Amino acid sequence: MAYSDKVVDHYENPRNVGTLDKSSSEVGTGLVGAPECGDVMRLQIKVNPDTQIIEDAKFKTFGCGSAIASSSLATEWVKGKTVAEALAISNTEIVKELALPPVKIHCSVLAEDAIRAAIGDWKKKNNVAETESALVGASA
Amino acid sequence: MTYFEIFSLPPKLQIDTVALEKAFYKLSREFHPDRFASKPAAEQAEATEKSSLLNDAYRALRDPIRRTEYLLELEGVELEEQSVKATESARASGTEKKQIVPADLLEEAFELNMALEEMKMAKQMGDDDPQLRKDLEAAKTNFTGMLDASGKELESHWTKWDAAVDANDDAAKSAAKDEMVALLNRRSYLRNLVRDVNAALE
Repeated sequence: MAYSDKVVDHYENPRNVGTLDKSSSEVGTGLVGAPECGDVMRLQIKVNPDTQIIEDAKFKTFGCGSAIASSSLATEWVKGKTVAEALAISNTEIVKELALPPVKIHCSVLAEDAIRAAIGDWKKKNNVAETESALVGASA
Repeated sequence: MTYFEIFSLPPKLQIDTVALEKAFYKLSREFHPDRFASKPAAEQAEATEKSSLLNDAYRALRDPIRRTEYLLELEGVELEEQSVKATESARASGTEKKQIVPADLLEEAFELNMALEEMKMAKQMGDDDPQLRKDLEAAKTNFTGMLDASGKELESHWTKWDAAVDANDDAAKSAAKDEMVALLNRRSYLRNLVRDVNAALE
């Protein structure tokens, strides 16, 4: 099976690989895995406490090319978005952008999960309720 | 007809593989196409179908992991679709997704992968440091040991499952099922680690 050019590009030049300070209250960390293929993905976001805008994002993924490309793309997409906007990113958009074949859809699911998990962790740290952030997102 | 039914076995996991092999040869002879050469086409077709089902059944049941996967499949567990399903239901209900892989396993797999990657990177940096090779060999022994141990653990879940089937205890069956799914998931991480450490040692 051939990978699309976009997957190859993200795989060969992954964006935003790295680590953010897990202990910072502005940082949310999501660690997720797809047992189907033994992939594990860590995605971190750094959120501006005043604007709720995601100012930085880093990832580290152990898995196939599609999993790496999906998480690399996810970090690019969440940067500059508010938390509420980032939550709206769905795996189907990632599938479309990277032209993932059906057998690799779970990689995009993993990336969506990672975004949600990172935001969930950040919310927990900052005692942000679900509804509250939705309101912030709606008015932004 | 399930793979268990073709061998007239109950849907249990502790199987006498010697008896299974004997039954396989006996049934193979019974369904052998040569014996149906002079029979009507419909009977021939049925024998061919049974013969092929028998082969699939034998291959699946004699292998401990495939046998477990097959049983879970019969029980409605879609191992290949777990993540997608969980994400879809979380999205539909607006709740946070329940991760299929427990957090401690993810942490463990992540840390092990990180350590392995460091060793691989150090190896790429040039000289084949003997200490590094030792570390990789140790990691290989460790991962392989964990994989073997998980196989043994699986057998203890079989015992629980079989007892629950005998007792017709749905709650116990369901608990044993969950434990087996968790174990197979863990094995897929361990398998990858073993594969990767072997590749690094080549």
